[in-house]
Amino acid sequence: MRTISLTINDQRITAPDGDSLLWAALDNGIYIPNLCSLRDKPGPAASCRLCFVEVEGLSQPVPACTQQVREGMVVNTKGLAALRLAGTAFELLMASEPVTCGACLANRNCELQKIARHLHLSLKPRHLKRLLHDLPVDDTNPQFSYDPNKCVLCGRCVWVSRQKAGGVFGFANRGFERVMTNFYNGPMGEISGQVCCECVAVCPTGALVLKDEKL
Amino acid sequence: MTIEETTFSRQTELILKKFGRKKENLLPVLQAVQGKLGYLPREAMLEIARFLGIAEMDVYSVVTFYNQFRLNPPGKHSVRVCLGTACHMKGGYIALDAWKRRLGIDVKQTTPDREFDLDTVACVGCCVLAPVTVVDDNPEGQVEPTRVDGILLAFERQRDEQADQENR
Amino acid sequence: MKGSAPAVIAAAFQELKSRAEPRWQELEDTTRSVILVGAATCGRAAGAREVLQALRNEVKKRNLDCPVIEVGCLGHCYAEPLVIIRKPGYPAICYGRVNTVIAEKLVRDFVLGDDPCYEFILGALEENDLIPSFTDFPRAGYEKKLILKNCGHIDPEQIDHYVGNGGYAALTKALQMEPVGIIEQVNKSGLRGRGGAGFPTGQKWQICRGAPGRLKYMICNADEGDPGAFMDRAILESDPHSVLEGMIIAAYAIGARQGYIYVRAEYPLAVHRVRLAIRQAKKQGLLGRNILGSRFSFDIRLFQGSGAFVCGEETALIASLEGGPGFPDYRPPYPATSGLHGRPTLINNVKTLATVGPIIQNGADWFADIGTEGSTGTAVFALAGKIVNTGLVEVPMGTTLRQVIFEVGSGIPDGKRFKAVQIGGPSGGCLPESALDLPIDFDSLREIGAMMGSGGMVVLDEDDCMVEIARFFQEFTQRESCGKCTPCRLGTKQMLEMLNEIVLGQSRMKVLETLARLAEDVKAASLCGLGKTAPNPVLTSLRYFRDEYEEHINRGCCRALMCQELIVYHILPDK
Repeated sequence: MRTISLTINDQRITAPDGDSLLWAALDNGIYIPNLCSLRDKPGPAASCRLCFVEVEGLSQPVPACTQQVREGMVVNTKGLAALRLAGTAFELLMASEPVTCGACLANRNCELQKIARHLHLSLKPRHLKRLLHDLPVDDTNPQFSYDPNKCVLCGRCVWVSRQKAGGVFGFANRGFERVMTNFYNGPMGEISGQVCCECVAVCPTGALVLKDEKL
Repeated sequence: MTIEETTFSRQTELILKKFGRKKENLLPVLQAVQGKLGYLPREAMLEIARFLGIAEMDVYSVVTFYNQFRLNPPGKHSVRVCLGTACHMKGGYIALDAWKRRLGIDVKQTTPDREFDLDTVACVGCCVLAPVTVVDDNPEGQVEPTRVDGILLAFERQRDEQADQENR
Repeated sequence: MKGSAPAVIAAAFQELKSRAEPRWQELEDTTRSVILVGAATCGRAAGAREVLQALRNEVKKRNLDCPVIEVGCLGHCYAEPLVIIRKPGYPAICYGRVNTVIAEKLVRDFVLGDDPCYEFILGALEENDLIPSFTDFPRAGYEKKLILKNCGHIDPEQIDHYVGNGGYAALTKALQMEPVGIIEQVNKSGLRGRGGAGFPTGQKWQICRGAPGRLKYMICNADEGDPGAFMDRAILESDPHSVLEGMIIAAYAIGARQGYIYVRAEYPLAVHRVRLAIRQAKKQGLLGRNILGSRFSFDIRLFQGSGAFVCGEETALIASLEGGPGFPDYRPPYPATSGLHGRPTLINNVKTLATVGPIIQNGADWFADIGTEGSTGTAVFALAGKIVNTGLVEVPMGTTLRQVIFEVGSGIPDGKRFKAVQIGGPSGGCLPESALDLPIDFDSLREIGAMMGSGGMVVLDEDDCMVEIARFFQEFTQRESCGKCTPCRLGTKQMLEMLNEIVLGQSRMKVLETLARLAEDVKAASLCGLGKTAPNPVLTSLRYFRDEYEEHINRGCCRALMCQELIVYHILPDK
């Protein structure tokens, strides 16, 4: 396959033709905040709006996941305009997160903590109001537990469950009420068939955690 | 399955016969089934998923996404209060309050006697007659609280007349 | 594909025309009286069906030879229900605010007798010496009916009326042209998409035609969801064939064989009339295999939207057509290259398509002469709110807001003062008095922070609170946000919370900065058009009416007395 060379933050890198800018950067050890992307998943969801970068020649910051690498592309992941948009999206997410890291099984293994460090932002936003969902935690499944309050709606588990488990997970409702759930919003314990561990493992936060991790 | 549930799946089956087994038929199928049953019971959704060969969750996603679909049985008469811009400015929310008070229910609920269900609608395009309430598919213009009483009175009288005739 | 055998097509059209003649003559008959009743949804809400029934009963009772015909919306919604009576020896007269009693009187006194009942007359449809006509109204000087030409004048359920009045002639002409020639005409006309964004229509067609792949789709976007806009509904209810004709021409130009018309389920009458129109067009050989004897085949399916504002966004509309929730997708690729089922898909708005026929019929230059240089043709607005003549108007692009509101719309009722006009619905903005002399077109509106949107125009007077209006739109977009992307799902909710606190008088000045900053970020970072435009009402009202926000926060008062929590009652001791 043809390779493309481009510059990110003054660093020359190469990437396979057709790759997205986000994965070209990540594969070369350049971190860009992201939640809704998965290496194997074709076509980005482009929904978390965290991976904004500045590309030379474009007047506005763009999400790195929707940009294909181009020969000679010059990218800046640290531009103020891009970081402002990413920061706003992150603060919005955190304003609706419980932020109970001490009691969370994903503590120190949480993408949100990583992003906060990267963007130099606190986990609890300063200007926005706390808007929590207060949904019950679902502990009914023997394999995993699900806390919808910690879910950032990245859709990773939904995609993996579609590949591996016939699509038991999905989104219901819309807008602020949008939630990851299963059919008829039933208890996760009632899911017919096995939910593979992979669906749970892709969760970037503490929303889906395996029970043996809990032991 | 209860008797009601069995009828639901049977009726759903009958409707499904008119459609091809393609995912793109999901919305028309749901519209047809709701048109017949008044809402979308769990059994009907399962039947539809089986028929179209898609995940049950996909049916549920669609049903909970669109305003049109209902998970609960409707009342005999539907009341839809328009909250478009023009209606809002001319007191659509006052009309909504009046409906809530008079029916004793909140939005998206059905009265205990299953006579009325109440919902809002974004805009029915009758802005010039604002505030508008759509009662059983008939748009009623200039619905002030007194008009709410008037509409309900008309239904009451209609019901009394029917009861009278039945008694005779 | 070449538009083969022009003679065959022309002959097929002649046949169609002669089939339509008898029924068209019935409407045009000058030897007996004809009664027309405007019975679109707006008319029906005002009681047009009862009036229709009363007229029919009276005509029957008196044994009159006088057809009573249901027509669409004439645009004078402020005077619904409307009745037009054509009687030999008189000009066609339009009566307003007709009820069943007046209806019976009209039949008795005018159709049977010779008293035109002056007291109920709104105006005559043509100039005459007897009765003041619509052309004498000041609005006549500004209006130009191109898309609304047939609305209220023909029975929308009769294809014969449409054909009789010149319909499908443009299609006949188009089928005898090369597809590229059609696109060239549309390009030359300068037509821009009437759905709101104003993308050049011809360019879109060209991209779609040039996109690789044999299978292409043509979609008409009739998912008019803006609260306060009803132009598309009125057109579909009053003249559905004009939209179908535009669709067939577009499909021929890009090489599509399958079309969809996506109509909101909240418009039951429009759904009914479109379905009927498709059936009639099929029966007359205007849809299906070998249209009008040409080698071109095309079919249209009606698809009912299930109530989601976001489905007006083209990628969400496609997701919905494919049987999923209406979640938008990122662009590019644009639907014109990869749309429905991954195929090139042309999506045009109702009004855009209704304009196509007249352009092909009269030529690109004729169209380009109307309007302004950057925005040609006409604009259709739905006037609502605090305005005397609520209803539909069609004016050339470049008409000023002042002319539309004060001349065509006759200004603000009850002697109140104009405060603002909300244009373009939840994607548009609130414009103050200083913007009134702005000629309206796509570019001028964007420059001042608003948007043409789909053409809803809601007039606000001194009794309306700008903060409350911004809050209302924020509530709407928040409720209609699909929830896919973070800025729109959570940003619109945060903005709504801030506005809720302001109208309750529980906010601080610092919040205004946070609100403005967040609004800008939601605009820049959202995935689709809904999110990108959702902050416009807030941003424009902050820009032009900041003093009202400050008043709510600092002085805890609402000058329009609309925010109920801020109303304080004082008892004057000496009274």
